[in-house]
Amino acid sequence: MIRSITREARFLARDRGALFWLALAFLLSIVAVSFGIAEVREQRETIATLIEEDAADRANALAGHEDWGSAAYYAFHLTYAPPSQFAFAALGQRDSKSWKHRVRMLALEGQINEADTRNADFGLVGRFDFAFLAASVAPLLLILLLYDLRASERMMRRHDLLVATAGSKGSLWLPRALVRVAALALLLLLPLWLGAFVEGAGFGMTLQASAIVIGSLLIWWLIIELVGRIDASPSVLLTSLVGVWLALAIVIPAISKASIEAANPVPDGGEILLLQRETVNDAWDLPKVATMEPFVERHPEYGDHAEIGEMGFEWKWYYAFQQAGDQAAEPLVQQYRAARLQRDQDAALASLLSPPSLVERSFERLADTDTLSMIAYEDSVRAYHGELRAFYYPLMFPEEPFDRELLEALPAYSPKR
Amino acid sequence: MSLCWRIAREEWRLWLRSRVVIFAALIVAVLIAATSVLTVNRVSAEQSQRVEQQSAAEETFFAQPDRHPHRMVHYGHYAFRPPPPLAVFEPGVDAVTGQSIFLEGHRQNTAMFADTKAAADLGGFAALTPANLYQLLMPLLLIVLGHAMFLRERESGTLAVLLAQGLSGTQLAAGKALALIAVIAIFMLPLVFIAAFSVTLGESAIAAASIVAGYFVYLCIWGALVLAASILLTQRAVSLGALIFVWLFAALIVPRFAIDASSAAIDAPGKIESDLAMLAEQRKLGDGHNAADPAFVLLQKQVLEQYDAETIEELPINWRGVVASYSEAELTDLLNSYAEERMELEASQSNMFNLFGIASPTIAISSASRTLAGTDLATHHRFLREAEQLRFDFVQGLNQAHIDELDYTLDINRNNGEAAGQAARVNAKAWRVLDEFRFEADSAGDRLQRATSSLFILLGWLVIASGVVILAARKVRV
Repeated sequence: MIRSITREARFLARDRGALFWLALAFLLSIVAVSFGIAEVREQRETIATLIEEDAADRANALAGHEDWGSAAYYAFHLTYAPPSQFAFAALGQRDSKSWKHRVRMLALEGQINEADTRNADFGLVGRFDFAFLAASVAPLLLILLLYDLRASERMMRRHDLLVATAGSKGSLWLPRALVRVAALALLLLLPLWLGAFVEGAGFGMTLQASAIVIGSLLIWWLIIELVGRIDASPSVLLTSLVGVWLALAIVIPAISKASIEAANPVPDGGEILLLQRETVNDAWDLPKVATMEPFVERHPEYGDHAEIGEMGFEWKWYYAFQQAGDQAAEPLVQQYRAARLQRDQDAALASLLSPPSLVERSFERLADTDTLSMIAYEDSVRAYHGELRAFYYPLMFPEEPFDRELLEALPAYSPKR
Repeated sequence: MSLCWRIAREEWRLWLRSRVVIFAALIVAVLIAATSVLTVNRVSAEQSQRVEQQSAAEETFFAQPDRHPHRMVHYGHYAFRPPPPLAVFEPGVDAVTGQSIFLEGHRQNTAMFADTKAAADLGGFAALTPANLYQLLMPLLLIVLGHAMFLRERESGTLAVLLAQGLSGTQLAAGKALALIAVIAIFMLPLVFIAAFSVTLGESAIAAASIVAGYFVYLCIWGALVLAASILLTQRAVSLGALIFVWLFAALIVPRFAIDASSAAIDAPGKIESDLAMLAEQRKLGDGHNAADPAFVLLQKQVLEQYDAETIEELPINWRGVVASYSEAELTDLLNSYAEERMELEASQSNMFNLFGIASPTIAISSASRTLAGTDLATHHRFLREAEQLRFDFVQGLNQAHIDELDYTLDINRNNGEAAGQAARVNAKAWRVLDEFRFEADSAGDRLQRATSSLFILLGWLVIASGVVILAARKVRV
């Protein structure tokens, strides 16, 4: 076996066509990894700048106010999801979904849906990251490398002779294909390994990523092998293989996406906003009791401090109706979140039918750039907003005297890692 | 000429006998038909939904009761962007950008709830539209049909016979080209239908015709590339492999490469980033809610002089309204300067992306197609600008009502009990300052002008590709 592999390796070294595809794979992998690293570095730099500016702005905002209500009104807090150490390989949803917000203690639904995303063209066209290379381009390169193994020998009229003289079919075609698959896998993975090392991605993660790439190449090898058995001319084989690629990479994902989205409708996001806004605005015209009663239901601990005079303006009442806005929108928000999760779950299932989708999704999972990670980030913003309320309410409702030193203990957002 | 027809007819006869060709053509046809029907239905539904939402938002605004005018500033309004008629073919960036914005005083919000936010994630190609079928799949079909159309004659030895009969290489190539153009023409039909349908929805015939012409040129470029490969290369598999490589490069690799390149070359700050930079500057302007802020001292002096009054209480107008109006204008100038800068940087990223059309006709047609359909980034930016204008106008209209229609003394006592609150209100008629907002695509002329560079790049591609075919065909020897 070793002998036949070294023999095939020598053949490969002289096959200029094959060398071209392999060199191309290597080059593209270098390009994809470098672009990915450049992008995540830029995102990290952005986050570092934001953290600094945000702290300066908050310090300034807090300095000018002498009561809890104004402090909470004027102080914004940065929340963000930093790119993971493996994000360079799969930027995933980070271009089309927001991974940074500035929130304050007002109704959260009016803030969390702000979409501070990149240039819309980026989200539309997509990036040339390693996940895309491995999921969609690598199979095509493998097809171009392998489709005419048999057919080209047929064309040269050596096929039958080779088959007759080789000991077994396995010892002839297997090493030949294996050398090519292995070379392609290695050349694709080398830049990824280097990138993972530079970015400090863990060994286990790199191993999983490598397994995904190799697994996908093996599946495509199997497909090519099965189609290659058809006794047809190389061009018909290549046409059929490209057809299979098209079906698996484009048609099946498109049909799955359309049917998943039709089966799981999401509530109109605008309705969430509208409901929250209307509730908050109506509260201004309602008797203050109407706001405070449902608030005390949720926060019985402030029952003794929820008496608001109908005269004048009180921050307690203001924040209570901000929360009422969030509470009114809660069912819709839950529906929206549940529908997104359901769609993602169905997409995970559907991606089993399409190796390219599966590879892309698995990479996004590894890199924390998939839908679940984006939803987890939103959940962490919600949790943090809750912490802000938990910080201010016990000071604001019992009307504790304003103490600037207590503000030192303001909860700080820390991204989950 | 009749010779060309005969060659083309012969090519068609062969195609119709080939199961691979028939199968591939059928699949592409079914995909185009199905995607078109789905997209037309979806986009038309969204169109009417958003138009309804827009007028519903206006009616709700007008129906608000008598109130303090500043309450209405914070009550706010919504701007919706209905898809233009040609979006049934090319939805463009609409799926990625949100399509509604909440408009309120002192803030510029982002467009929220893009479709992609809740989309099922199945990788890069799952969002099929008629436009990207034409951009990605049609070239592949032409490759499958045409990669061997010329070299077949060489392989089977008929080329020598044809040339010996006095047929020139150019005539033969012209016949083959005619056969391919006929295929392209047939597959253009769905696009022609959709374009005609968009005209019935109110699209300008010029824009619809330009988009059809653009795609025709694009497909002819691919036809020419395919024909050139089949003349220049001598083995089917090599020709097919080379063409698939060109397709892989032009349709899959270069567009995404171009995105990464323009993102790395031009750093456009996000909104939060530029907001924070702006906030530092904004702090110098003063807070519009607080009329005693030192930043307003100068303004107070001017207004008092203008009305020949000693104190703000003596003014015939409401000083708090003056402050609100003044600071809204100042703030808006500042917000707009940052927003403009952000949009200009994004636009230059997109211009750089478009330049990559020189390396890939797929980029050239896709940006021409988005621009002509009115679903490009520039149109989204115009929506943001117009929504901002709408926001500024109604906020200032309300501030004017605050100045003219609400007494200052009543205003500062507004929190002293129910009756005082009731008194500090203006008549709901004042809400009529809100303008009706119906976002529409640019005129066909403007869109065409914006698409000119991409269309020229396409024409350049066509000239070069056909040039190669003609040169190659002239040199055909057995």
